Amino acid sequence: MEYERLEKEVARRSALMYIPVSLGAASLFYLAASLVGGYPPVARIGGMVWVGLLSLIVSMPIITSRVKRQARGQ
Amino acid sequence: MNESTLNLTLPITGMTCASCVSHVEGALKELSGVKQVIVNLATNKANLVYDPKQVGLADMQRAVESVGYSVPTTELTLDVGGMTCASCVAHVEAALNELPGVNEAVVNLGLGNARVTYIPGVVTTSAMKRAVSEVGYEASERSEGADALDRERQVREDEIKRQGRNLIIAGTIGLIVMIGTFYDMLGPLKAFVPEFLSYKWVIGLLTTPIVFGPGRQFFTNSWRGLKHGVTDMNLLYATGIGAAYGIAVINTLFPKAGFGGEGATFFESAALLTAFIILGRWLEALTRGRTSEAIRKLMKLQPKIARLIRDGKEEEIPADEVEIGDLILVRPGEGIPVDGAVIEGYSAVDESMLTGESLPVEKKAGDTVIGGTLNKTGAFKFTATRVGKDTALAQIIKLVEDAQASKAPIQKLADWVAGHFILGVHMLAVVVFIFWFFFGYRWFFDPNSRFILSPYALGEIGVFGFSLLLSVTVLVISCPCAVGLATPSAMMAGTGKAAEHGVLFKGAEAIENTSKLQTIVFDKTGTLTKGEPSVTDVVISNQRSVTSDTDHLLRLAAIAEKNSEHPLGEAIVQGAEARGLVIGEAERFNSIPGHGVEAQVEGRAVLLGNRKLMLERAVDFSPLMAQAEALEADGKTVMFVAIDGQPSGLIAVADTLKEYTTEAIQRLHRLGIETAMITGDNRRTAEAIARHVGIDRALAEVLPQDKAEEVKKLQALGKKVSMVGDGVNDAPALAQADVGMAIGSGTDVAKETGDVILIKDDIQDVVVAIEVAKATMRKVKQNLFWAFVYNILGIPLGAGLFYPFISLIISPELAGLLMAISSVTVTLNTLLLKGFKPTIRHGDRPQRGAGEPKSRLSPVATSSD
Repeated sequence: MEYERLEKEVARRSALMYIPVSLGAASLFYLAASLVGGYPPVARIGGMVWVGLLSLIVSMPIITSRVKRQARGQ
Repeated sequence: MNESTLNLTLPITGMTCASCVSHVEGALKELSGVKQVIVNLATNKANLVYDPKQVGLADMQRAVESVGYSVPTTELTLDVGGMTCASCVAHVEAALNELPGVNEAVVNLGLGNARVTYIPGVVTTSAMKRAVSEVGYEASERSEGADALDRERQVREDEIKRQGRNLIIAGTIGLIVMIGTFYDMLGPLKAFVPEFLSYKWVIGLLTTPIVFGPGRQFFTNSWRGLKHGVTDMNLLYATGIGAAYGIAVINTLFPKAGFGGEGATFFESAALLTAFIILGRWLEALTRGRTSEAIRKLMKLQPKIARLIRDGKEEEIPADEVEIGDLILVRPGEGIPVDGAVIEGYSAVDESMLTGESLPVEKKAGDTVIGGTLNKTGAFKFTATRVGKDTALAQIIKLVEDAQASKAPIQKLADWVAGHFILGVHMLAVVVFIFWFFFGYRWFFDPNSRFILSPYALGEIGVFGFSLLLSVTVLVISCPCAVGLATPSAMMAGTGKAAEHGVLFKGAEAIENTSKLQTIVFDKTGTLTKGEPSVTDVVISNQRSVTSDTDHLLRLAAIAEKNSEHPLGEAIVQGAEARGLVIGEAERFNSIPGHGVEAQVEGRAVLLGNRKLMLERAVDFSPLMAQAEALEADGKTVMFVAIDGQPSGLIAVADTLKEYTTEAIQRLHRLGIETAMITGDNRRTAEAIARHVGIDRALAEVLPQDKAEEVKKLQALGKKVSMVGDGVNDAPALAQADVGMAIGSGTDVAKETGDVILIKDDIQDVVVAIEVAKATMRKVKQNLFWAFVYNILGIPLGAGLFYPFISLIISPELAGLLMAISSVTVTLNTLLLKGFKPTIRHGDRPQRGAGEPKSRLSPVATSSD
């Protein structure tokens, strides 16, 4: 039970970090595409979604394992 | 207890009284972060409340151990299903190691299991299974022996069946999708294909069940892993298939949406990518089990039935019900069910499957038999001496399993690389996407460019579709599945192959170290030599000897020595017996302590002893002195024989070399390995023996307790050193060496020290061990080369690095096929190890008797003028 409680806490705290990180990366991409100009809206939105998804995939395990280590005091 | 603290019950062993309780409590309380400790002597447990941010279980264990007590641990093997690559290994290990109470988890991809060392009571088996299942794999407790064999086979067969079914679905529909996609290119064959198959929405409808049926496993597994902060290659596939399918759906439903329109519908990519990945999984499942065939072969050796003799009647019972002391009958052609001692009958037994000895070994009353070996010719009865887990076969299986479950340093590195590779690949996919989106498309895109092995031009594909395509291809082509398989599959095949030849490696690290050996140090007595003196030379004096026959001289000497208890006397008697000479009784016998013996034999006065004795008795041996000195220079002990007061001859006694010693040393030299001999003998004798055998270096006058120091000195010269000994007084040296080889252990392997166990008392097996280790490591390196070559060449190709020059890109489905081929290449390359044969041809060895190998007495009979 103690272990499960800890796991849930880790999941919650990690999500609070990796979601903003990936949303930030996606927004940055959208902003850059808009500033450069010449891209149709679908390309900008599609690119934003893809960059956001990949950023989520990259940041999720890194942040989760770091938060887990912190929670366990390692 | 507040939010940040946890409760824990820790088992403690070694406590005997109240003061022990206070010691343990004191040690634990000293740890910062431990809020409360109550130690109970009756239950041998400590209840703690602690803050996990400040103190870990490992700290508590150390604290308990520092005051002289211990936290008991136990070991468990879990079968883990669903692992496909090195990153899976890292995830399962991480999931288990994260559990409080787990000290160590080692996962073997090839065997599909995890060996967990844990603190009982702190963590449960079900918690371990749940942790494994939460990261996307299935775990179950491992059963023993034949059950494990059946279970492993069942799991493998289920996986082959499951992926086979998936392959049929994905392959068949994928083929239709491909035909539909390339409908315009079919030419006259169009007549046989309905046109509606080329409609995008039909292709989409056909692809959907592939992605959500056989392809679903990639999405569910990767999501389960992601939730726990782990990424595996399922994620690469899921993002690849998902992106290809998603864009194709959008382009079909909304062709004007700007994703590249109909020209960029990647349904065939999604369908064929899924089919090829599943083809790879299916081929892997088919071939992977074969690399662990050795262990299955060993398990199969165990006969299921034993023929028990009870109250004089024969009765068939299951072999695992045999108890120590039971009387068992074995008929010709039958397997021997357990270990035992023959009490009646005579036969030849094929022990090749356990010892590697190719010729059948004779068995008669008093000899031992090994369970799992095969009776060839006669029938015999034996008493069971070791049953169940204690049999030689069970011990060997355990040792091989443990070795296969361990990790070589090179494997740890490969696992680490593969484990971090996937995150790196996703980062690369972002970089590739951004580059092609913002720069590459504008600078290099050519509408006439096409996919490799495809006639279709990329045409109207837009910037997003093109960049996404290259990004997805990078994800698919980078899968490190072959990297993960490269080392464990070869290690499994290598340990199994070695076991077939009676060489047992205690771990993968032992194989890796053995392959790097530069110097091998042999203990002399009992390793290079038989450890018991025997007659080596008989020299006759031609001048005044009463006999001119070496056998006659030896026989007279043996009769004179028959009642002697001196080892040299016994050697002479045994030497005569070995020649088949009849040794009668002396008429009179007198021992002269420290000098020799005198006896009356067949009416003659025989005087036998050292030089001093002959001087005292004024027997002039000057004509034979040159030969006596030459023999002594060869490290032999010379006995002078005078008959009727006349110098009649010399008998040289020495600890004789084992069979094939010289050949083994020559083979080691051919492998470029330096050899050394360690002995307590004086330098002259040691050097003489070393010279005779061809050993490069003699380490003489070394006391048993200093052997380890000598090994250390060689290591200090930067050499990788192996020590080969019989393990009796060599244990410290075996432990000090980079690889300790215990020779001639017989089949009681569990008791042996050393990293490598040579079951037979045959020094040539040192060569076998080195050759197998070198072959295995060669295979590991080849596998890693092939695995990395695919990735190193594939990633730039997938990322479009060559696109500006060749206007060709690789499609995701071709990337999937290449990755499937890489895994299969590695596994097939490993399977080539099955055909490996050591350079020693075991078939050339002479047949041995039932007991110890007989001395091959070949005295040098010379005469003196």
